[in-house]
Amino acid sequence: MVPKRPSARTLREWGTAYAFLFPNIIGLFVFVFMPIVYALYVSLYDWNALSPKVFVGLDNYKDLLGDKGWWRSVGKTITFSVIYVPLLFVSSLLSAVLIHALRGRVSGLARTMFLMPFAITSVNSAIIAMYLLDPRRGLINWILSGFGVPSQDFLGSTSQAMFCVVVVLLWINVGYNMIIFLSAIKEIPKDYYEAAHMDGAKRGQTFFRITFPLIKETNTFILIVTTIGSFQVFDQIMVMTKGGPAGATEVSVLYIFKHAFELLNMGYSSAMAFVLFLIIFVLSLFQLKLFSRDEER
Amino acid sequence: MQSFKWRPLLIASLLAVLLLQIGCGSNNGGKEASSSPSSSATNSGNASKEKVTLKFWDFHTEAEQKFFEDLVAEYNQSQDRVTIEYSTSNQQDYTTTKLPTAFASGDGPDIYMISPGDFMKFAKSGLMADLSPYFPSGSKEDFLPAALDAVTVDGKIMALPYELELLGLYYNEEMLKNANVEVPKTWDELLAAARKLTTDKVAGLVLPPDKGPYLNFIWYPFLWQQGGNVLSADGSQSTFDTPEVAKALDFYGSFFREKLAPSKLQFGPWEIDNIGSKTAAMQVLGTWAINRAEENFADVPIKVAPLPLPDGGKAATDAGGWKFAVNGKSKHVEEAAKFVMWAFADDPARALKWCTEIKFAYSPRQSVVDAGKEIYSKGMRQVFTEQIYSSAIPEPTYPSEIVDIVGDAMQYVMFGKMDGAAAAKEADGKIKSFLSK
Repeated sequence: MVPKRPSARTLREWGTAYAFLFPNIIGLFVFVFMPIVYALYVSLYDWNALSPKVFVGLDNYKDLLGDKGWWRSVGKTITFSVIYVPLLFVSSLLSAVLIHALRGRVSGLARTMFLMPFAITSVNSAIIAMYLLDPRRGLINWILSGFGVPSQDFLGSTSQAMFCVVVVLLWINVGYNMIIFLSAIKEIPKDYYEAAHMDGAKRGQTFFRITFPLIKETNTFILIVTTIGSFQVFDQIMVMTKGGPAGATEVSVLYIFKHAFELLNMGYSSAMAFVLFLIIFVLSLFQLKLFSRDEER
Repeated sequence: MQSFKWRPLLIASLLAVLLLQIGCGSNNGGKEASSSPSSSATNSGNASKEKVTLKFWDFHTEAEQKFFEDLVAEYNQSQDRVTIEYSTSNQQDYTTTKLPTAFASGDGPDIYMISPGDFMKFAKSGLMADLSPYFPSGSKEDFLPAALDAVTVDGKIMALPYELELLGLYYNEEMLKNANVEVPKTWDELLAAARKLTTDKVAGLVLPPDKGPYLNFIWYPFLWQQGGNVLSADGSQSTFDTPEVAKALDFYGSFFREKLAPSKLQFGPWEIDNIGSKTAAMQVLGTWAINRAEENFADVPIKVAPLPLPDGGKAATDAGGWKFAVNGKSKHVEEAAKFVMWAFADDPARALKWCTEIKFAYSPRQSVVDAGKEIYSKGMRQVFTEQIYSSAIPEPTYPSEIVDIVGDAMQYVMFGKMDGAAAAKEADGKIKSFLSK
C-alpha cells in the first residue's frame, strides 16, 4: 500500500517534534558524533597536542597490537566486568525484590539508603569508601580487628585492590539499578501473584516463574547498560587507586587517560579509544542479539 | 486557532536560539581572551601606543595565588605598555588538561609555569622561548649554574627557575626518643629505625606509594647517593641496568614490602600532616613543609635531618620547583620575558618574599639567599642551609615516558612483583627502545 501524503496536521506535529529535538540533535552532533569522528582522524596521526600532527597511517594501531600494557589493561577491564556485572545484576534485583516486599515508611527509608551513595557525586562516594577502607584508621579494619582479623591493605594491596574497587562500585550503583528493577516489578499485575498463591506456589517459584520472566526487558537493559558502563569505568578508580598499586587496577580507560594526558600521545590514545569503542560496540550487539533470540523463543 | 498550534514550535525555536546563544556566548568569551595576547592589542587611550595584553596562567592557591595577583597588579601599574591577566586553576587540571588543550587549540597563555616533569615536552614543541637575551645585566651570574643548566636546551635557557625545594628526612623527635632510636644517618639505620617505630597506629616512614612524577622525585636521591643515574649525562643513553639502580629500587621497595611505609595514605605523601597528625614517625619531604609544620603543628616536636646515606655514599638531595616559561609561539615574547625577569631575576626583594614569607624554598639566586641569611638559619631551615643545600641536584627534566617507565620499575619492586635487578633490567630495555625512536 502506498502511504498517503501526510496531512497538514501530521506535518505540524512533526515540525513541533523536530523543533524540540533540534537542540538535542545539535548537542549530540557537536559533543558526541564529531569527537568520535575526530578521534578516528587523530588516531591516524602522531600528535602530542603541542606540535603539528604527523600522518602515520595505521602505525598507531600496529603499535597497539604489540603493546603489552594495553592488553594487560584490557584484561583488567574484562576481569572487572566479569566480576562486577553479574554481582551488580544479582544484588540490585535481589534488593529490589526485598524492598518491594517491604511496606510503608520502612520501604521508603530502605530505598533512600540504597540510593544515597549514587545520589552524591561519584568522586565523593569514592573518597568516603577510601576512608572506610583505610588500612590504619578505616572503619572496616576496625570492625575486622574485633574478630581478630589482622589489618588489611585493601586498596593498597595488589591482590585486594580490584576486588575492593568492585565492591565500592557495587555500593555506589546498586541503588540506581534497584530503582529500575523496582519500577519494573511494580508494573506486574498483583493478580498473577494472588493466583499463584492460591495454587500453592512458593516464594521462590513466584520469583522464577512470574517476576523474573515478566521483567525480561529490564533485565536486558540493565545487563547491556552495566556491561557498557563496566568497560568505561574511570573516575572512581582514578580517585581511589590511579590504576595502582603496581598497575593492579589499571583498566583500559585509565591506560588511555595516561597516554592522552600524562604522556600526551593523543594519536595513540585516540587509536586505543577507538578500539575500545569497537570492543564495546561488538559486545553490545552480541548481547542484544543473544537476548532478542531469547525473546523469540 | 492557527497561532495557538504554532505556539509550541515558537517556544521550542526560542529555546533553541537561547541555547545556541548561551553556547556561542561563552565561546566568544574564550575567543576574546585568547586572541588578546597574540593579536588584539587594545588601545590604551593613548592613540599612539598600543597596549598589549598578556595571559599568565598557573595553579597556585591561597597565599601563593595572592602573591602572584599582587605581583601582577604591581607590574600592571608600574608601566603602561603591557597588561598582564593572571588566572589560576587547580594543579591536576592545569597540568593534565588545561595547558595541553589550550596549546593544542592555539589558545595557550603567553606566560605559564611548568614542572620539571613536563619541561622537555614543552621545550621541544617550541612552546618555550629562549630567555637568555632578556636577563638583566649581571643577573645570570647570580643564578646557581646547576639551576640554569637544568633548564638549558641546546644552549638556550628555556625557563626561569625561581625556587628550589630540597628534600630531607623529617621526624617526630619524641617518637624517636621514646623508642630509643637515634636519628638515622645510614640506610641500615633508617631501615632499623622504621622497623622499631612502626606500630599498628603509626607508620615508621612515609614515602609516596602511588605512581607519578612525585614518586620518582623522592627516589632519585637514593640513586644519586651511590653515583647512579637514569640516563647518561647527555641524556642519550640508558644507565638504568646497573647495580646502583637495583640497590636503590630494592632499598625503597623494602619499606613497602616490610609494611614499614603505608601503601595507602590519608594525607598526600607531600604533606607534613602525616607526621603532624602523629600517624607517622618519619617522612621524606621537602622544604615546603616547614612553614606548615611551624604554623599548624607547633605542638608536635618535628625535626629534620639530611637524607641517610648508603655505605660509602655521597650526600645528594633533589632540588625540585616549578619554572617560569614564556610561550615561544606568543607574538609578544619580549614583553612576556620582561615581566618574568622583572618578577624573579631583578630586585631580590620579590624573590625573597616568595621564598621566605609566602612559602619556604631556596632561591636559585645567591644574592637572594644572602639577603635572607637570617631567615635561612631559623629552626629547621638551618639544617637545610648548612647540611643539605650544598648537595642539591636539580630535579631531572626527563620525558614523561621515562618517568613512567621508572615509575613502573619502582612499583614492581615496592609491591613484590620483581626484585630490583630484574626491574632495572626490564626498564632499561624499555628506556632504550624509547630513546631509539
